[in-house]
Amino acid sequence: MNATKTADPFRLRPPWSGTLTARERFVRQMRHQPVDRCFNMEFGYWNENFQTWPMFRDHGIRSNEEADVALGFDPFPAVWPLWIHPGFPEGVVEDRGATRIVRNRDGLLAEVPRDGHDTIPHFVGSSIVTPEDWAEVKAERFRRDDPARRVDVAALKARHPDDRDYPLHVHCGSMIGKVRDLLTFEGLTYATADYPDMVEDMVETMCVLIEDFLDQVLPAVRFDGASGWEDICFRSGPLITLGFFRQVVVPRYRRIGAKLRAHGVDLWYTDCDGDVRPLIPGFLEAGINTLFPFEVSCSGHPGEVLRRYGPDLRILGGVDKHALIAGPEAIRAYLESVAPLVEAGGFIPFCDHRCPPDVAQENYLYYLDLKHCMFG
Amino acid sequence: MSERNQELYDAIIRGDRKTVQAEVEKAIADKRPVVDLMNGSMIPAMREIGARFARNEAYVPEMLIAARAMQTGLNLIEPLLAEAGHEPRARVCLGTVKGDLHDIGKNLVGMMLKGAGFAVDDLGVDCDVAKFEAGVGRGANAVLCSALLTTTMPYMKTVVEHFKGQGVKVIIGGAPVTQKYAEEIGADGYGADANAAVSAVETVLGLV
Repeated sequence: MNATKTADPFRLRPPWSGTLTARERFVRQMRHQPVDRCFNMEFGYWNENFQTWPMFRDHGIRSNEEADVALGFDPFPAVWPLWIHPGFPEGVVEDRGATRIVRNRDGLLAEVPRDGHDTIPHFVGSSIVTPEDWAEVKAERFRRDDPARRVDVAALKARHPDDRDYPLHVHCGSMIGKVRDLLTFEGLTYATADYPDMVEDMVETMCVLIEDFLDQVLPAVRFDGASGWEDICFRSGPLITLGFFRQVVVPRYRRIGAKLRAHGVDLWYTDCDGDVRPLIPGFLEAGINTLFPFEVSCSGHPGEVLRRYGPDLRILGGVDKHALIAGPEAIRAYLESVAPLVEAGGFIPFCDHRCPPDVAQENYLYYLDLKHCMFG
Repeated sequence: MSERNQELYDAIIRGDRKTVQAEVEKAIADKRPVVDLMNGSMIPAMREIGARFARNEAYVPEMLIAARAMQTGLNLIEPLLAEAGHEPRARVCLGTVKGDLHDIGKNLVGMMLKGAGFAVDDLGVDCDVAKFEAGVGRGANAVLCSALLTTTMPYMKTVVEHFKGQGVKVIIGGAPVTQKYAEEIGADGYGADANAAVSAVETVLGLV
């Protein structure tokens, strides 16, 4: 498709046609039941794509939410809990010439390029190092009785009625990824060795806050699935020890999973980059049965993992971004390799992370066209 | 291996830096040869954690806390090694390439190399060719380049081309980097992870 201006600047492509609602389609596909066509979604794009890809830049599309609408993707919203509140004051704390040191909402200090180009943050310090630091932050920013943690259930129900036509997820936060966000990766690793009780209390705090949230929203709204976020793996595997994961994290997932299942929510994905394979048994044991976005260069071809674990496991994502970088031939070969997985159900293909700016726009459009042609 | 060395060895593997410190201080007080301490306990312990990593029995956190424990011991014995005229196995410099500020992987590679008996000149992040050149000027036999992003990875080619024909080995690694990419740009070696980076250095410098 040419990215020419259309009458509706936010509608570059129409939604794929179909006979089911997006909600019916998503749920049926994840349950390995027949569908009219594949659920059509993408994870999103780096900020730089919005400046460099003409179809975004020339149509004033500046965010992933706008891109989802413009490209006609099926809706995929979630209801989110409140996490840190109040957040740490954000801002620049030091100017180092080519870079700046900034403090984020989580209290982490990050070195960022002064020119503002898009990059993964480079964290250089944390507001929490010792148990005393944590006690202070917990008392101030993770209060269970914080009135801001009360959900306006009536408004939520009105916004997401039971007869809606799109799938709705309840976000179950993060048990350890956000703890890592408070400590940095090295900080978490060293704290797990030096202050294991502190780290366990941090995980417990995350769990209790999510339980409080779920107790409010689950009885009120009929959710189609649960979501989560961890990002606790490198390319070479987990960035927490498997012992800590099994002894401290998995039992908290299990508590959350029990609440979800009690309200009929049995599809649960968590967002985790890197090589997630060592964590899959723990995920499945606790009820997390869907991987997202499944980075192929780290975790291998999605077919291998799905074959190993069978229909209990599902994957959202799993399209190798390197194929999108390489061009049409690689894109076609890759999509053909996942076609049997789409056919079998429990697998919704999309780029295995935010699409990076080194994917050419024409490659990306070729990919979307081919995906439509093969699975639409 | 003596029993006392076994305690040090075990302490490094489980990342117990307090025991490492106590054991090394005791060995120094007992006037035991620190080279034996390093070659008999510390380097083998890091080799073992690397082997466990290669077998997927340990992951980056275990390597990191083991390397921190090892470093605690190294800090105590390094002055004594220098006094005794001990030479490292080789000298290397490493840095994250220009445009990239990420250093977790680079730092871990540095710690694993020290744990394997190499002298490591850490050039930091955002390294251009001039920084790597300076490292070579200080005696590095090999240059190690790290990158986290597909957008910064191409600078590795610039580094490889710069050192071509100079007798300096260039080894690359990082999340988006592959063996195929290393071959494409003509790098001398590739490390898929921190443990593999040590093996790559040993291979390209003919130390195995």
